[in-house]
Amino acid sequence: MFVCENMRSMQRRSWLKLSVGAAAVLAVAGGAIALVEPGLTKDGALGSAAQRVFSAVSRAVLEGSLPQEATAQDKAITGLLSRVSDLTAMLPPHAQDELSQLLALLAISAGRWGLAGLSSDWSAASAAEVQAALQGMRTSSLALKRQAYAALHDITGAAYFSDPSTWVQLGYPGPSKI
Amino acid sequence: MSSLQDPIRDGIAKGWKIYGGTIKNSPVGTHKPLPASLTCDVAIIGSGAGAGITAELLVKAGLSVVIIEEGPLKSSTDFNQRESEAYPSLYQESAARKTADKAINILQGRCVGGSTTVNWTSSFRTPASTLQFWQEQFGLKDYSVDTLAPYFQQAETRLNIAPWLTPPNENNDLLRRGAAKLGIPAAAILRNVKGCWNLGSCGMGCPTNAKQSMLVTTLPMALDAGAQLLVETRAQRFELANGQVQALHCIPVKPNSGPVNHAQVATKIIAKHYVLAAGAINSPAVLLRSQAPDPHSMLGQRTFLHPVVLSAGIMEQKVQAWTGAPQTIYSDHFLETQAIDGPIGYKLEAPPLHPVILSSTLHGMGKEHATIMGQFPHTHVLLALLRDGFHPQAAGGKVSLRSDGSPSLDYPLTPYVMDGARRALLSMMEIQFAAGAQQVLPLHEMATPYTAWTQAKAAVEAMPMEPLLTKIASAHVMGGCAIAGSEKQGVTRPDGVHWQIDNLSIHDGSIFPTSIGANPQLSIYGIVNRLTQGLVTRLGGKVQALA
Repeated sequence: MFVCENMRSMQRRSWLKLSVGAAAVLAVAGGAIALVEPGLTKDGALGSAAQRVFSAVSRAVLEGSLPQEATAQDKAITGLLSRVSDLTAMLPPHAQDELSQLLALLAISAGRWGLAGLSSDWSAASAAEVQAALQGMRTSSLALKRQAYAALHDITGAAYFSDPSTWVQLGYPGPSKI
Repeated sequence: MSSLQDPIRDGIAKGWKIYGGTIKNSPVGTHKPLPASLTCDVAIIGSGAGAGITAELLVKAGLSVVIIEEGPLKSSTDFNQRESEAYPSLYQESAARKTADKAINILQGRCVGGSTTVNWTSSFRTPASTLQFWQEQFGLKDYSVDTLAPYFQQAETRLNIAPWLTPPNENNDLLRRGAAKLGIPAAAILRNVKGCWNLGSCGMGCPTNAKQSMLVTTLPMALDAGAQLLVETRAQRFELANGQVQALHCIPVKPNSGPVNHAQVATKIIAKHYVLAAGAINSPAVLLRSQAPDPHSMLGQRTFLHPVVLSAGIMEQKVQAWTGAPQTIYSDHFLETQAIDGPIGYKLEAPPLHPVILSSTLHGMGKEHATIMGQFPHTHVLLALLRDGFHPQAAGGKVSLRSDGSPSLDYPLTPYVMDGARRALLSMMEIQFAAGAQQVLPLHEMATPYTAWTQAKAAVEAMPMEPLLTKIASAHVMGGCAIAGSEKQGVTRPDGVHWQIDNLSIHDGSIFPTSIGANPQLSIYGIVNRLTQGLVTRLGGKVQALA
């Protein structure tokens, strides 16, 4: 019973914060987004600014899974970005629009600060700094931040581990011969 | 690529009447272009469980049928066991369809055969307790175990639904063994397969045509008998007048479901009767786009998901949860030991694991995530599906339209539902430790791997069970066009006809007035079998049973 009541009041609090916080973020976005590059291109692929966001996010999310050697890691990230584009290109228009806005917002400094709480630019931030920013979003009381974290986390993991080159380290044999 | 015989490619070569879309890189080339208009006895929207059964029975009765499917036509030659190809081509929104608050990820088919092409073959008749609730609460007097039994029997015969005699894979056997240690009954799941190779890739389309989905059973039968199939074509809206559908307007869509051309209707279909079987979420959306009468504000309401929570266990031995029939053991202990309208109950099953679905479902990042991914062969997962719809605090979600006409589902995760999520995580973790797990990780953003049951129990009891912290998925979408004995309680009459539109029936999972409390495919087959036999009689046809 105690747990139940506690949960109810927590839910109320987080919804209130969502409405206030979302309004603030959208106010930033509304002014800024018109001026910046959309996250996704017309074909639904990652634009160059969104590629920088995903490049930094994937180094943080996939630390320990990506190859450690610099050249191999760069190559893995290049492949990953291409697979993220394949994935986003197949999302329906409404999901592309939302993701495009989110990535555009994250790519500009006001959005990066407001949504991720990250002071350095994506390209300059260390993996630890990006992880700390993502961790803040992940357990934020603001639903919008949790949603943004979930999108970045799920897309990164899905795109990375969809490639057969990553399966050896997982011990996954891949398709059976039919 | 499969080198086996492909009954769909063979059918195309024989001259099946298929319009719209393309089969990329196929030796058979493109289908016929969409015609400006088509006339038939019955137009069926969708090609999944409800549509397939409906189509077979209608063509057997000698009626002419047109089937309209938004997704592509893919078949065993295309089913190469790769998640990266299966999810974007065979699932709604690339297997990333989400509720409005993004807290629930929904797996739902979008291809010829619908969800039956990609499901995990688990087959259960509608539970007696669910039917009793429908009789008492929704005036569905004819929906009883005995009256439905012959219709389930026919569907089971037609689709080879039978006990699975091969031993369960380790992922499922861990559920059986862990439950047994705790004195919790578990049982075997019936499957709709014929000559199954036990590969474990059901969710990516069956590469051996063993799964008796609509793709390889009812739809080929209907196409052989002259049914016409429109693919990559969306039923946009009904033209309504005088309490009747006058026509159905369809548009071609791109592989990502975006319209090819915003300008105009491509195909107008005129039928004597229309059957809406686009699945929950999409069936209400067609009616909403059509501005269908909804005098009691029931349309799109009470959409249920069987919200699913998951727990991972790391075993000493190899589990290899990607291989073998995906779901063969279940437990209804936590459904049957409490009142159906009491605290929310849950069904326990095991899901198949493949890299994409595991990595995106598994919470966390960096070394934490990498460590678990590195133990993939030893990873075992249980899922609990929560039985929503039987309590005022589990009234499901509501479908509405976005500005582009696509459907959005707002599904509130109430404290009542989330209390069930917590109890379900506890039950699964206890079973996993009993089965010998070295570590257990409930899928929740604040959870870490636990090495003892007491530690795990204390952690989960203290965790905030909130949307977007607790990982929640759904593979069963139901409701939104409920059948009910009174028009005040539903959208659809007990005989499947829309309460306000005489020549429109609804034949899919959207008609369920609650969730089922079990994987829903056989509930759809059996109930739609009966509805369609009634429809055939009313249309003046001669009923021939499904089997």
